[in-house]
Amino acid sequence: MAWNHLRHVTRAALGINPAGRRLTVFPDDVFIVSYPRSGNTWARFLIGNLLHPQTPITFANVESIVPEIYFLPNKKLLRMNRPRVFKSHEYFDPRYRRVIYFVRDPRDVAVSMYHYSMKRRNIPDGLPIDDFIPRFIAGEFFVDFATWDEHVQSWRATRQGKTGFLWIKYEEMLAQPEVELARIASGLGINATPEDVARAVQMSSAGRMQNLEKQQSADWKLTSTTRQDIPFVREAKAGGWKNKLSATAVRTIEQAWGRTMKELGYELVTETASQHELVRS
Amino acid sequence: MVGPKGNLDRVVGALSQAGRVLTGRQIAGRGVTVYPDDVFLVSYPRSGNTWTRFLLGNLISQSTPVTFSNIESRIPEIYFNPDRELRALSRPRMLKSHECFQPQYPHVIYIVRDPRDVAISFYHHNVKARNIPDNYPMVSFVPRFIEGEFDQKFGSWRDNVLSWTSVRGGSPNFMMLRYEEMKRDTAGALLQVVDFLERAAFRTINSSPAALERAIELSSPERMRALEKEEAANWVLTKSTRSDKPFVRTAKAGGWKSQLATESVEMIEAAWGDLMQSLGYELSSRKATSAEAVSHQGMRS
Repeated sequence: MAWNHLRHVTRAALGINPAGRRLTVFPDDVFIVSYPRSGNTWARFLIGNLLHPQTPITFANVESIVPEIYFLPNKKLLRMNRPRVFKSHEYFDPRYRRVIYFVRDPRDVAVSMYHYSMKRRNIPDGLPIDDFIPRFIAGEFFVDFATWDEHVQSWRATRQGKTGFLWIKYEEMLAQPEVELARIASGLGINATPEDVARAVQMSSAGRMQNLEKQQSADWKLTSTTRQDIPFVREAKAGGWKNKLSATAVRTIEQAWGRTMKELGYELVTETASQHELVRS
Repeated sequence: MVGPKGNLDRVVGALSQAGRVLTGRQIAGRGVTVYPDDVFLVSYPRSGNTWTRFLLGNLISQSTPVTFSNIESRIPEIYFNPDRELRALSRPRMLKSHECFQPQYPHVIYIVRDPRDVAISFYHHNVKARNIPDNYPMVSFVPRFIEGEFDQKFGSWRDNVLSWTSVRGGSPNFMMLRYEEMKRDTAGALLQVVDFLERAAFRTINSSPAALERAIELSSPERMRALEKEEAANWVLTKSTRSDKPFVRTAKAGGWKSQLATESVEMIEAAWGDLMQSLGYELSSRKATSAEAVSHQGMRS
């Protein structure tokens, strides 16, 4: 605790604390925003490969091409060429003007987060997933990023339908990656041919990312200190929750977030799932 | 080009930042340490937050009347005080904030005000703060206000309100206060707050009719104006602004009807009409049909 504080103070004094929410934001900055475990890394590969066809994205160069705001200090990020493209997990930040927001079925996010929390040693190996779910719903594992529902609603209520805001469903990205990436390209104002898009999709396939992870995960900032026996790039599928979550776990999630899920078109399987009525003006 | 002067400024800036960090005098702001029993008084700027701080300050602790000299130690705002000092306050604390949705805030009293009145108040505030010149046309100010240009980190009025109501609306730990309701029935509004604070396990508050009346009296626009005259030069919020312009202005609702051009009213209503109506603010123009008139910078910049 004392050590962490000293470290934080020293780094803050030297100006080398990670930028995070203190990032200087320019109006032309592009942010790939999502709740954790919702396809953000895939999106960084896809968009990076589309923007830089000469430099295939790997885990070794992604932090300098499409960096996340949580590792590098603001002063370093200020030196990037503009327009900059960032990864962010922030809940609504009014300063972000150009946002590509990735949303994913929270039941799949839950499964992915469970494995990821184990990889990060936040939960022990044998913890039953049923015990994990209520803690996930409470937002315990990423307190800085709020809960899934808060995250999604804070962006949706303020920005949906606005110019500069692109809403992408992970499930649609999986089903038709070329179509969705073409939407992103046009949103970014990039002239990309169908071949460019197809190539970027190919360079960002789950198979390629899994191979790259095997070679580079010990060096990548996001994974270097985590358990190497659990992968970061997992199944990259939709609907896995159907055979990985118990009926109780599904009901717990749907009761907590059913209203938002329905609004997003995620079909509920628990009939009685009815959330307390939120005033959504 | 950064000249030698610019470099020097940068070095001085970095050193003073380092100094503030090392001595713990960094302003709390968004990095404020939050305790589970904290209550946040949140609003978009110019929506009655200072008045509410006076009212609640005078009600919560009835020994010494609130003034601009002691408000920052009683219901401090997070933007002018170092976290270290805020941590030293006795708990439970009540803090003032202008942030958009913050998940860590455990209990929130959100004050909302008719954006047409906020626009006028914000205009004068920006003249006072020297962000715009003295006779800057109001009609030119309004579109910039709609864009949320002046305090970008707080978003636009719509961003700020929606970010809270969409996520926290209906939650027992969130209460909404309408400035206009507070004006109309101050005692009634205070009783609602007392009720909310009781449920939030805040300290016990004497809310007898006499106590309410005293708090309202001690927070009247006249008294606040008189205090401002004496103390504005020392208050953190006003000391570096123009002293010929008041911080406490008319403190009325509906001033927009005589002070905003039809064009400006239409512009605000076209941008935020849906949200205004859902909050009970009646629209005056027929043109206000959709919220789509606000054009954020496009993806194709």
